[in-house]
Amino acid sequence: MIHLQVNRLEKRFGGNHALKGVTFEVKGPELIGVLGPNGAGKTTMTNILDGAITPSSGTVYLNEHRIDQLQPYQVARAGLGRTFQVTRSFRRMTVLENLYVPALALGHAQGKAALRAQAMEVLEFLTIDHLRNEYARALSGGQQKLLELGRLLMLDPDVIVLDEPFAGVHPKLMEVIYAYIRRVNAAGKAILLISHQMDAIFALSQRLLVLNFGELIADGPPDVVKNDPAVIEAYLGAEEPAK
Amino acid sequence: METPGIFWGVIGWMIAWGIAGSLLLRQRYFARDLDTTNAGFVGAMAGAALGPVALIALWARTPQLTGRIIVGVTLLAVVLIAAAFAFADPQNNCVSNGEFVASQITNGLIIGIIYGFMALGLTLIFSILGVVSFAHGEFYMIGGMLVYYLTAVWLPGLNPLAAVVAACAIAMLIGATFERLMLTPMYHGRVDRPVEYGILATFGLAFTLQYLVQALHGASPVKAQRFIDFPRWEWPAEAAAPLVQTRRGSIEFFDLVTISNPRFVAAVTCILVLLALLFFLHRTWQGRALRAVAQDREAAAIAGIDPDKMNMLAFALGGMIAALAGALLVQAFSWLPQVGAIPAMRSFVIVVLGGLGSLPGAFIGGILVGLVEAAGTGCIPNAQKAASYIPAYGMIVLTLTLLLRPTGLFGRRFAGGAHGQF
Amino acid sequence: MASSDGGPAMRPEFQRQIPNAAGVLLILFFALFPLVYTGGNYDYVMHVLITAFFYAILSASWSMLAGYAGQFSFGHMAFMAIGAYTAALFGHYFWITGEATGLCREIPFFGNWLVVVNPIGVTSTTLDQDCLRQAMTAWDGSVSVTRMPIWLGIVLGTLMGGLAGFLVGILVLRLRAAYLALFTLGFSEIVKAVISAEIDITRGQAGMELPPLFPDGVTLFGQAFGPTDKIPPYYAMFGLLLLCLAILTWLARSRFGLFVRALREDQDAAAALGVNTTRYKVVVFTITCAMAATAGAVQAHYVQIVTPNMLFLLQMSLVVAMAVIGGIENFVAAALGAIFLQIMLEVLRTSFTIGGVEVDMTTWRLVFFGLLLMVTLRFFRNGLIAPLIDRFRRAGVAAETVEKRTATLTGPGGGPHRADAAEVPE
Repeated sequence: MIHLQVNRLEKRFGGNHALKGVTFEVKGPELIGVLGPNGAGKTTMTNILDGAITPSSGTVYLNEHRIDQLQPYQVARAGLGRTFQVTRSFRRMTVLENLYVPALALGHAQGKAALRAQAMEVLEFLTIDHLRNEYARALSGGQQKLLELGRLLMLDPDVIVLDEPFAGVHPKLMEVIYAYIRRVNAAGKAILLISHQMDAIFALSQRLLVLNFGELIADGPPDVVKNDPAVIEAYLGAEEPAK
Repeated sequence: METPGIFWGVIGWMIAWGIAGSLLLRQRYFARDLDTTNAGFVGAMAGAALGPVALIALWARTPQLTGRIIVGVTLLAVVLIAAAFAFADPQNNCVSNGEFVASQITNGLIIGIIYGFMALGLTLIFSILGVVSFAHGEFYMIGGMLVYYLTAVWLPGLNPLAAVVAACAIAMLIGATFERLMLTPMYHGRVDRPVEYGILATFGLAFTLQYLVQALHGASPVKAQRFIDFPRWEWPAEAAAPLVQTRRGSIEFFDLVTISNPRFVAAVTCILVLLALLFFLHRTWQGRALRAVAQDREAAAIAGIDPDKMNMLAFALGGMIAALAGALLVQAFSWLPQVGAIPAMRSFVIVVLGGLGSLPGAFIGGILVGLVEAAGTGCIPNAQKAASYIPAYGMIVLTLTLLLRPTGLFGRRFAGGAHGQF
Repeated sequence: MASSDGGPAMRPEFQRQIPNAAGVLLILFFALFPLVYTGGNYDYVMHVLITAFFYAILSASWSMLAGYAGQFSFGHMAFMAIGAYTAALFGHYFWITGEATGLCREIPFFGNWLVVVNPIGVTSTTLDQDCLRQAMTAWDGSVSVTRMPIWLGIVLGTLMGGLAGFLVGILVLRLRAAYLALFTLGFSEIVKAVISAEIDITRGQAGMELPPLFPDGVTLFGQAFGPTDKIPPYYAMFGLLLLCLAILTWLARSRFGLFVRALREDQDAAAALGVNTTRYKVVVFTITCAMAATAGAVQAHYVQIVTPNMLFLLQMSLVVAMAVIGGIENFVAAALGAIFLQIMLEVLRTSFTIGGVEVDMTTWRLVFFGLLLMVTLRFFRNGLIAPLIDRFRRAGVAAETVEKRTATLTGPGGGPHRADAAEVPE
């Protein structure tokens, strides 16, 4: 049973109070959209969940293990995977090698053939199997995005944090990514989907978290959140229209 | 040394508290959510200088670590080392002989100014291109060689000033050509690891230039004539001990320290050119454009500045600065194709010490390194060992700085190997 | 890059085996060369090749560190020197004697005495001899005095190099790119300064003499070789090169190679995927520095002298240039580049005269070397040898991609949803 607990997370950078007591809980394979204007603290939260930075105070538990003081690689092994806002594929490694990295890093003992079969399955699902032996840098921007998602599938975490997976993606690829998110969710993973793209968030998520100035101002089903006065004022209001 | 026990005891005590302070204070500032950039360094210096007293005070109050505090505790630590040394070795020349100390400090300052000036060129290149130029020492060498050849071989009787200007112009040309031919691929993502590419490319340039000069010139040392003779002059005139007194080949201050003519000319010229450079960077369009590119390449490009042109300008200017230092010093030192290695190493030390990409940091770092070197040469009892260890002093400072503050003393924190700021 | 370049007759599976076949041929060639070579200057030719193998080990291990793992260290020669000096110091200061000298520091050692000689530095008079010499003069040959085994010194050198690499690896964890290069350069300068300055122990610029690799000669293939013969050190160095390449190949093909390349490409992304980047960085430093140290120790015994001059930046420049020209991301290419360039540097040594002007090739060859380095960097970023290997290894990849893509686009499973249907790969 997946259980992510985020308790009173605070983060200050010098004078900048980036997160102010963010608390929420994820139970089971939820698909959660995270909304918030620029500077609301979404990326800071992702980096804390991932272990790239440590919180000033507060705790994060994943399946009853405390993960907020761990190194990123330990967090990944504990079962939380993430993508980056800017695509970060291993450019001078082949597509297959890109996929082998997380699988081997976890140390699941499996034969070469099984590993390859698993990787090919992922690639076929992402429709980039024909590129398997190409270097990642030969892929288009959208294909690299898919590759990054593929690496996450190989990591096989319980919780996946997707940081702007639709940024700069060709509309045709969006469908593939939609399908990816739905399938991974259906396979029993919890997903935190961070995006500026309202239509995508509303189309996919079962629950919404809204951050504003480091505070969690709403948490609930999309229909309810959409009509929350605080959210409308902070985010959906006329002052800052969503892109 | 009479009582080495005292000296090494104090050093040991300082190191122990320094390590403790560095670790404790960083942790403390971190726990209190304060800026930890300087905490480790200040902790180390305060612990070394004042031991537990300072650490307890800092621990309790956690003040904001301003530049004043940083400089203060660092100076205290240095003073303490000096005092321990004086107690341990009262007979040493640099404790008992005031004249010797004054002349060592002057020498250190002069050489430090020139080092700082060279490091300035390196830091200019780094802040615009994000590359450490490994060919910096070769530009220095070329500058000196050109002045020698112009004044002594090709055009005997040429005005040295004209030769210096010509050497600078040629160095700029070499720098600009190299930048156009070799470095252009790194700007637009056509090279996978631009910083490493730049390092290797400048490394190749250094190798080629050094052996090209050796092949053309040979390995014999040369030295240029003194550029100018000072007139005989005293101020105040007719005094028993004039404050300033010049002879043809030297200048004497306070009847105490004598600086040789070439070194004095070199240092003064460096300061003048530094001022001109600051004027260029802050008051002219080109200079402002350079600084804009150093701060934010893309924003500068949007504002109508061509960053590629600025790259060329920066590399040419940086090379010219090194060449100028060499052109001025060829009258003071004997010149070889390998002569660039030492000032290049010093420049590396200085820019790291001052923070890659920080102009004032480079200059202050240069003077610091010059002084440390003078102290090391003058004070270490075993002269032979001192001479061998001179190249290492700076490097020890460099490695320690990188460990305590990976961004240097005056450098801002910026993403791995990216651009700094002025 | 279309795959049809290789000729339509060559099947990709066959092409991919070409580098392996060439490798086997090369190994055979170098293994048999000393036995079949009958040209002039036999010892000189052997010497050039031994030196070439030495540089090949350095170049290959550096390419693992810089090319595979992306850690541009400019202190590789320092680790080589640490290995060489460890072997030299160990052989110089530790001896085994049959009886106590009564002069040196010594401890009983399995019925003999382990003697630690006192450092005397460089002295001009023969009066100040070290304690063991004095004792030996007194004994006048009546007591056995044995030096430490050569191999033990080499092993110790390797361990010391590895240890130094481990420590430096830990220290540079936080440093990237330019800072790492400067730090390692600084480390190298410090090592050089210490060796030059501690004259009492290291004899400074005078250098330390070492016994030859096989001080008592050796018998190979039923033939006895003396200590100064070139064939035993040739095979020792060649064997060491093959061993290093084998270890590197094994590492590169295992998950280790995959992970260090991932951390070269993107450290944060690798960590986010569960790779312990810290550990692999330190391990790659340790292993490659240990290799450099081994090469240094063996070479020191071969040339029989170590001096601080082996730490000049020129030496490092040579290794860097060899690796870059061969191909920095492929250690086999880097090793081949080193062998090829070392031979070329020797061939080009001959000065000649054109139109009355004597061209001193001892220096000009280095100018050409520098130019070649720059041209390679600028126009052949993967080196001159690595792309050849890569081309055969990856034969048919592009064709396969195109073929598969066309098949799926037109076939039943294809359609407009295919990821690349609307996009042209960059």
